Amino acid sequence: MKDNGRNKNVNGRRNLIPGIFCVLLCLVVWVLWGGFDRFLGVGSRDTLTIGVFSDSYWNVQNGYAYRIVDDAIKVFEEEHPGVTVEYTSGILKEDYSEWLAEELMAEKAPDVFFVLGDDFSSFVDAGALKDLTPLMEADEDFRKDAFYSSALACGTYDGKQYALPFECAPKLMFVNRTILDNEGIAMPDNDWSWEDFYNICQAVTKDTDGDGLTDQFGEIGYTWKEAFESNGVQLFDQKGTECRLTASGVEESINFIEKLDVLSDGYNVSERDFDLGNVAFQPMSFSEFRAYQPYPLSVKKYSGFQWGCIPMPAGSQGDNISTLDSLLIGMNRKTANEENAWDFIKTMTSDPAIQAEIFDYSEGVSVLRSVTESEQTLQSLIEDSGSEESLNLSILSQVVEKSLVSLRFPGYPEAEERVSQAVSEIIGGDGNISMELIVWNREINRFLGEEKGQ
Amino acid sequence: MTQRQMSDYVLIIMKNLNLLAVLFLAGVMAASIHGHIQAGTSMDFMMTARGFTWAGWKIIVMAAGLYVACLLVMSMQSDSAAGLIIKISVEIILGFLVSYVLGFGYMGVILLILADTMKYFPKSKLKFPVAVVISFIYLFINYEFMSVYFDVIPLSVYLDYFQSDARALMAGLQNALTSLNTFVFLVYMIFLLWAQLDEKERILSLNRQLNEANSELQKANLQLEKYAEEKEQMVATRERNRLAREIHDTLGHALTGIITGTEASIALMDVAPDMAKEQLKVIAEVARQGITDVRRSVKALRPDALEKYDLEKAIYNIVEDMRNVSNIDIDYQCHTSLNGFNNDEEEIIYRIVQESITNAVRHGHATAISIDISRRYGTLIVRIADNGVGCADVKKGFGLHHMEERLNLLQGSLHYSGDRGFTIEARIPIRWGESEEEGERND
Repeated sequence: MKDNGRNKNVNGRRNLIPGIFCVLLCLVVWVLWGGFDRFLGVGSRDTLTIGVFSDSYWNVQNGYAYRIVDDAIKVFEEEHPGVTVEYTSGILKEDYSEWLAEELMAEKAPDVFFVLGDDFSSFVDAGALKDLTPLMEADEDFRKDAFYSSALACGTYDGKQYALPFECAPKLMFVNRTILDNEGIAMPDNDWSWEDFYNICQAVTKDTDGDGLTDQFGEIGYTWKEAFESNGVQLFDQKGTECRLTASGVEESINFIEKLDVLSDGYNVSERDFDLGNVAFQPMSFSEFRAYQPYPLSVKKYSGFQWGCIPMPAGSQGDNISTLDSLLIGMNRKTANEENAWDFIKTMTSDPAIQAEIFDYSEGVSVLRSVTESEQTLQSLIEDSGSEESLNLSILSQVVEKSLVSLRFPGYPEAEERVSQAVSEIIGGDGNISMELIVWNREINRFLGEEKGQ
Repeated sequence: MTQRQMSDYVLIIMKNLNLLAVLFLAGVMAASIHGHIQAGTSMDFMMTARGFTWAGWKIIVMAAGLYVACLLVMSMQSDSAAGLIIKISVEIILGFLVSYVLGFGYMGVILLILADTMKYFPKSKLKFPVAVVISFIYLFINYEFMSVYFDVIPLSVYLDYFQSDARALMAGLQNALTSLNTFVFLVYMIFLLWAQLDEKERILSLNRQLNEANSELQKANLQLEKYAEEKEQMVATRERNRLAREIHDTLGHALTGIITGTEASIALMDVAPDMAKEQLKVIAEVARQGITDVRRSVKALRPDALEKYDLEKAIYNIVEDMRNVSNIDIDYQCHTSLNGFNNDEEEIIYRIVQESITNAVRHGHATAISIDISRRYGTLIVRIADNGVGCADVKKGFGLHHMEERLNLLQGSLHYSGDRGFTIEARIPIRWGESEEEGERND
């Protein structure tokens, strides 16, 4: 007994030193692991870092690079005395995602950062973004219903809100009013259908100068994507595990595209034809529409004709809708500064004054319904465009609300490429469309499966 | 060098090999991350990896740190089974974390833990279940299984950064390190097995030696018993011879004188009666002398104290001796004269007192003893009581048994009780006539 006890003491003493070193090593690893930061919430509490890019999300150099962000920082810093907001300036949009990924890899990523719509699902998939749902639910000041639900849905993944929308832009149909006026055709209604669309295209496609070549066309850039969207086809599920090429509406959409293609009679209509004023319709993002207005070049570009915007035509099984492109703001999952980060995200997305600046310094649409529908916004848009006729602004809010969320998942570009290939081969071939769709659907699903299993 | 030492060396090799593997893989991962950042392909990495890990240097520090922590835990000692289980659990957790940090690209650390554990359970029943559990963990810690439960980036994603030849080399090295680790593990287990077989062999041979020694000891024991018997007989013979010599020297001398004197007296009786009378007086003197000699002889065979002193003094002396040699409080009361007893009786009384004191001290651990000797009617009562532990169920040992036997010879009786210390009471009938006669003559 006594001997055993003494042994234990000897062991105890002998184990003490490795034990202490072991605990110290584990502590070091824990600190590196990130447990320490999360545990104490250390990290610089009085500095909030944000990730922004220097140019416009809508690919327009408008000279207001950091204007809205700077204003938001000012508002935020006034509300949070002692907290400074910092960002790295000079990162271009095209480098931004790579920069963000590098910072995330090196664990230096900012607390709050912009997420480009296309990259959203990749960053969520990589676990870079914090789930904001609990913060939204816990915050009584936060009003979820102030947002357009479609805009909010852009930041949703798997039922969780990983990012909040900052600005968005729906896709609209750009109309050459001069052609319609010349042909004696009235501007289509906001709830026009494919049939109206096709009839106008058919009517305007003709040889105007009598040289025997068709030189005025119905549309450019209206692809299967727009057709699917406005005919109630949801091609992929949100996670990109399933392709629905065999869904109802697909065959009709392909037939419609084929019909439109036949109109141009083999002539490859280019965007230049639209710029020259020879094409009646082109689908375009609302941001593009706005960008061309103040932009000096655009004046020259579209000076030859009158133009306007209306919603996309509706297919028989769908509605006058299109996809919504959006710029999102997310929170770094590893942030040690959650409270301030959340408050800053709120300032950026929910402060009406900041959101209203989107209409002054950016080309998108505010994600807040009240801001987009306000009189002030209307005035500023009219000032920009110079004419009330170009856009029936009262429909803007409605279009945004009805918009579809553009899906982006890892492997989306390849999957989309395959669908394009499928559609063009189906149109080019003369087989049974529904049979071919089944075959293609199986192949794309296999590709998606491989992509997931990777 | 013994197999046990060899296996220890192999374990050291294995530990270094694992360190090398851990550092190599962490290095590859760090290089890949650094390379992606430098090359501006972080977005590609993120898309394929579908996740982020730590900054490159952190991976190296964390993997090495966790591994060294695991080695430190291995170096700890534990005696109890529970301690060992805790130790092994901590080792497994650390080994698992090393694997986790390395994207489950290397699980050799678990094998090392198994190897180290085998050292600690050479004979325990726990050995088998523990080995099975660790082996299962080893089998299940690989990327394919673990990716189901943990979000880790497989090593292949890191390797994608490198060009195909470098990638092949690194993947090859990873496999080689894993295989080498398994091989070293096998070598280790073989050495350990050898060591255990050797040990078993040694134990068997020791057992054989022990058996031989045992049988020799038995033989020696038998011889000793025989020798003791012989010795006893020799002692008995010597004693008989001494008695014979004593009888011959004393009685023989006296009786011879008496016979010679008596014969002379018979011849003289009619011729000179006075002379015969004289002669008879001389004979009586010789007889008396003979009796004295006999007494002296008998005395020579009695215990020392009794030989030197009378009974009362002898008892007083042993009491005094015991008082002197120990701290025991001995109360000695004698209410009667002890002069009237013959030698047998004296010896028994003396032995009872002596034995009882010895018992009280030796078995009862008494601190106080009271000795009371009194006479009631025709019986002498010797009562010895102590305050020792006593005993509830008295088993007669040799001492008590012997006392009782000897008292029975004198028509006496023995009473004792073990409650509240130990009390013994001996009753000896007093044979007046004889004892008085003897007593007087003794004096």
